[in-house]
Amino acid sequence: MGTFGYLGRKVLHALLTLLFVISFNFVLFRWLPGDPVLLLARSQHLSREDIAEQIANLGLDLPLPEQYLHYMGDTLTGNFGLSVRSSQPVLDVIGDRIVPTLRLVGLGTLFSTVLGVLIGIKGAWRRGSVFDKTSLYGSLALYSMPEGWLGMLLLLLFGGSVFHLFPAGGVRSPGLEGFAYFVDIANHLVLPVLTLTLGYIGEYAIIMRASLIEMMGEDFVQTARAKGVPDRLVRRHHAIPNAFLPTFTLIFLSFGFLLGGAIVVEFVFSYPGLGQLSIEAVNESDFPLLQALFLISSGAVILFNFLADITYGYLDPRIKAV
Amino acid sequence: MRRTRRAMALMMLTGLLGSLLIGSAALAQTGTGTAAAEPVVFDVGVDSDITSLNPFNLCCGPDYEVMSLIYDTGFQFDNDTLEAAPGFIRSWERSEDSMDWTLHTVEGATWHDGTPATASDLAFTFALIADYQMPFYKDYFPFEPTFEVVDDTTVIWHSTEPTFAPEVPAYAPVLPEHIWGELVGSGDPSDPEVAKATRKTVKEFENAEAIGTGAFKLEEYENGQFIRLVRNENYWGTPPKSLDEVVFHVFTNQEAMVQALKGGDLDIVDALNPTLFNSLVADADPNIATHVGDGGCWGNIAWNFGGQKDAGGDTEDTADPVIHELDFRQAVARSIDRQEIVDKVYQGTAVVGYSILMPGSNGSWVAEIPEDIQFNYDVEAAKAQLDSAGITDTNGDGNREYEGNELDLELLTISDVSGSVDTGKLIQGYLADIGISSFFTTVNTNKAYDLWYTGEWDAYVWDWCPDPDPDFMLSVFTSDQCLGWSDGCYTNPEIDRLYDLQQTQLVRAERKATIDQMQLMIAEDMPVMVLNYWSDLQAFRTDTFTGHVRSPNNELGLYILGWTNDTYFNVEVVGADTGEGDGGGAIPTWVWVAVGGGVPLAAIVVFLSRRKTGDEEA
Repeated sequence: MGTFGYLGRKVLHALLTLLFVISFNFVLFRWLPGDPVLLLARSQHLSREDIAEQIANLGLDLPLPEQYLHYMGDTLTGNFGLSVRSSQPVLDVIGDRIVPTLRLVGLGTLFSTVLGVLIGIKGAWRRGSVFDKTSLYGSLALYSMPEGWLGMLLLLLFGGSVFHLFPAGGVRSPGLEGFAYFVDIANHLVLPVLTLTLGYIGEYAIIMRASLIEMMGEDFVQTARAKGVPDRLVRRHHAIPNAFLPTFTLIFLSFGFLLGGAIVVEFVFSYPGLGQLSIEAVNESDFPLLQALFLISSGAVILFNFLADITYGYLDPRIKAV
Repeated sequence: MRRTRRAMALMMLTGLLGSLLIGSAALAQTGTGTAAAEPVVFDVGVDSDITSLNPFNLCCGPDYEVMSLIYDTGFQFDNDTLEAAPGFIRSWERSEDSMDWTLHTVEGATWHDGTPATASDLAFTFALIADYQMPFYKDYFPFEPTFEVVDDTTVIWHSTEPTFAPEVPAYAPVLPEHIWGELVGSGDPSDPEVAKATRKTVKEFENAEAIGTGAFKLEEYENGQFIRLVRNENYWGTPPKSLDEVVFHVFTNQEAMVQALKGGDLDIVDALNPTLFNSLVADADPNIATHVGDGGCWGNIAWNFGGQKDAGGDTEDTADPVIHELDFRQAVARSIDRQEIVDKVYQGTAVVGYSILMPGSNGSWVAEIPEDIQFNYDVEAAKAQLDSAGITDTNGDGNREYEGNELDLELLTISDVSGSVDTGKLIQGYLADIGISSFFTTVNTNKAYDLWYTGEWDAYVWDWCPDPDPDFMLSVFTSDQCLGWSDGCYTNPEIDRLYDLQQTQLVRAERKATIDQMQLMIAEDMPVMVLNYWSDLQAFRTDTFTGHVRSPNNELGLYILGWTNDTYFNVEVVGADTGEGDGGGAIPTWVWVAVGGGVPLAAIVVFLSRRKTGDEEA
C-alpha cells in the first residue's frame, strides 16, 4: 500500500470517528437527568408558560429524530446555537475561554514534556546513579500525586497565606496594558502551569527512561559502541531516536487533550478556561454549550491522533507497511 | 581543556545574566518612578460569574449587584425598612383610588453614552416589561398597566385595578430607549406571536456595553474572571465617597478566594462556606473582619400533598396519604431538633427559624410565631400526638402504620443545595426516633426540578429565598400554584382568600395584619416546616477600607450583595492605601525580563559550548 492509500485510510478513520462522536454527543446530553430551562425557573420565577416558551425556543420540544436532524445540520454548518444560560452564541462563549486554556495546558504540556524527556534520558543513560534513583522516585511520587491536591498545596504555600508570591486565581488583573499586561499574565500562569508540569513530568520521565533502557540493550546500540562511537553520539543518533517513539505517541495524545482543558487545575486556581466552562455547562445542563465543548475536545483528540498516525508512519516506516 | 571551556561558558553566562538583571531592574525602576495617582479600587471576591450583561437574563449571585451599580431602578430599597425609597423616580403620588400613580423622575440624568435620560425611558422600560410580559419582572406590573409620559420628568402609571404595585421596588433596571427600543418591533404586543418574538429578541441581546445611568459604568468584562466597573463622573446622584473602581473577581475555588483576601488582593469576599469562614474566625487576623449576615434563604422540609395529576400534571403522584393528617405533620415537626441541624449541618452559622418570611429580607413584615405553634423539639410529645391521632404501631414491628399501611416515607435531598443532604440524614434519624421509617433519595437540583412536578416523593429538603415584599413568598402557598411554585400542591381556601385580600389592601398596617395572619396559619398548618434561616458569611479587610455599611441596616444586614449598594458609596480608603489590588503578590517585572532574556541566552551559550565539545569528541 502506497503513501496515499495509507493517508486515505487514516483520513477515513478520523472522519468516521468524528461522525460517531457528533451523533453520540447528541444522545449523551439528552440522557442526562434534568431540564436546562427548569434550572433557571426557580431563580427567575418563571411561570409554566415561560418555561414552555423557552423550551420551544431551544427546539427541545421537537421529537428527538427531528432534533437530531436539526442538530446535525447546524453542527455541520458550524452553528452551535445559543447557550441556554446566557442566551449568547455558544462559539462566542467558548471563544472567550479558549486562549487561556491553550496557554495553560500548552505551556504545562510543553514544560512537562521537555523536562520529563530530558530527565528520563539522563536517568536511563546513567542508570543506577544518584540522579537516576532520585529522579525515578521523584517521578513516581509526582506521577502518583493527584494534581488537585498538588495545586491546593502550591496555592496555600505561594498564593497568600504563607508566601504571597503569586495571584491565587484568575488569568489576569484588570486595567493593565502593554508590557505590564504580559507580565501580569505570566504571574497568573506560574502556579497552574507549575502544577500541570509537576503533575505530568513524572509520566514522561518514567516512560522515556524505560524506553531508552530497553533500547540500550539492542544490538545496534552495542555495535555502535563496539565500533568506538562516543557515548554522546550513540545516545543522540542511535538510542534516543528509537526510544522516543512511545513518548512521541504520548506527547501527541497530550496535545490532543489540550482543548479539553485541565478541569481540576482550572478549578483550583479559578482559571476560566474550557475545563472550568465544562463544569459550569454540566452544572447548568447547558446542552448546546456541552455539545460544542465535547465536540471540540473530541475533535482535537481525533485530529492529534491522526497527526500522530501520519507522523509515526514516517518516523517508523514499518507502521505504514502494516 | 573541556573543564576550561565549561568554566568560560559559565563565566559568560553569569556575566550576561548579571548585566541583564541589572539592566532590567533599572528599567523596571524607571517604569514605577512615574506612577501617577492610582485609582481607588474596591476588589470584591464572589463565587460565581454573572450570568449575562442582559438584565432580562439575570439569575443569581452577583448578577443583581453588578446590574444595580450600572443601572438605576425606578425605586431603591430604604436601607432601614426595605420599603420603596427614591431611585430614578424621585417622588411619587397616587390618586385617591390608587389606580393612577404619578411618578416624577430625576432631572438632568444622562446615560453612560451621554444621551439624556428622561421619563420617557422609564415609561419605555415599564411598557416593555408589562406589554411583552417579560419573564420575572412582569409580576411587578399587575393589572395591565399603561404608562403615560407627561413631560421629561413625569410619567403616570395607569392601572385597571387599585394597586400598590408601583411602590414595590422592582429589580427592573431603567433601560435606555435609544438602545433597547431598536429591539422592539412595531407589531401589536397583544398579538402572542409578536410578543413571543420580541421576548426572544430582547433576551438574546448581548448588551455588551451595558449602558445605564448608575453610579458606575462597565469598563471591562472578562468572561468567568472579572467585571470591572469605573466611576460614572456624570452620575446624577450623590457620588461614591472614594471609589474610582469596583472589580468583582470570580473565584470558583473558595480556598483560592480566601488566600486572595489574606494576601490583600481582595478587599471583601462573599458566600464563604462555614469551614473556611470558621478558619478565618479562628485565625483572628486583626486586619480581617468576619460577618454572619442574613443569607436570604430559609431551609425547610416541604410536604407533598399530591394532586399533581388532577392539576394537569403528566404523572400520578405517589405521596403518602398520612401527609394530609395535621397531627402527623405537627408531630414530625416536634421530633426534629432544629438547633442540632444548625449546629451540626451549618456549623452554627445558620439561625433557627419559624416563619416563611425572614427578618433579614422581609424586615417588619415578619410575624412573631407564638411558642405554642413553633412545635419545638419534644420527642415524647411527638409520640403522644401520633398515638392520639391513631398513627400507631399495631403489629409491634417498631414502625407505625396509617390506615393499615406501614409508614415508609421518601425524602428527597438535593446534593447541591446547602446542607440538604446532611439535614436529610438527621431527619431520617428523628423520624426513626418516633417510629417512622424513611429512606432518602439524593438528586441534584436539575433532577429535583423534574421530580418536583411529578409528585413522586413524600417530602423534600430544599430552600426558599423571599423578596423583600412578601407577595411572591405568600403566593407559593396558594392553591392555583399547584404545578407552579407550590412545593407539594398544598391547598387551603382561607390562605387563598387572605392572599387575594392582601393584594388589595393599600394601607400598610391592614396588609401587614393579613400577612401576619397568613404566616401564623402556615406555621400551624405546616405545609412546609421552616427549619432555619441561612447565613451569608462574609469577610473583609479592615486595613484597606473603612465605612462598610450593612444592608439592611441591622445586625443581619450584608456588607455586599444586600438590598442596597451603600457600602460602595460609603467606603473610604484607610490611610494612604488606594486599595489597589495588583492581581496578586507577583514576581517583579525585572525578574520576568531577566528570565525572558536570560534563559534563551543561557541556552545558546550552553548549546554552543556543548556543540564544540561534541565536535571535538567526534
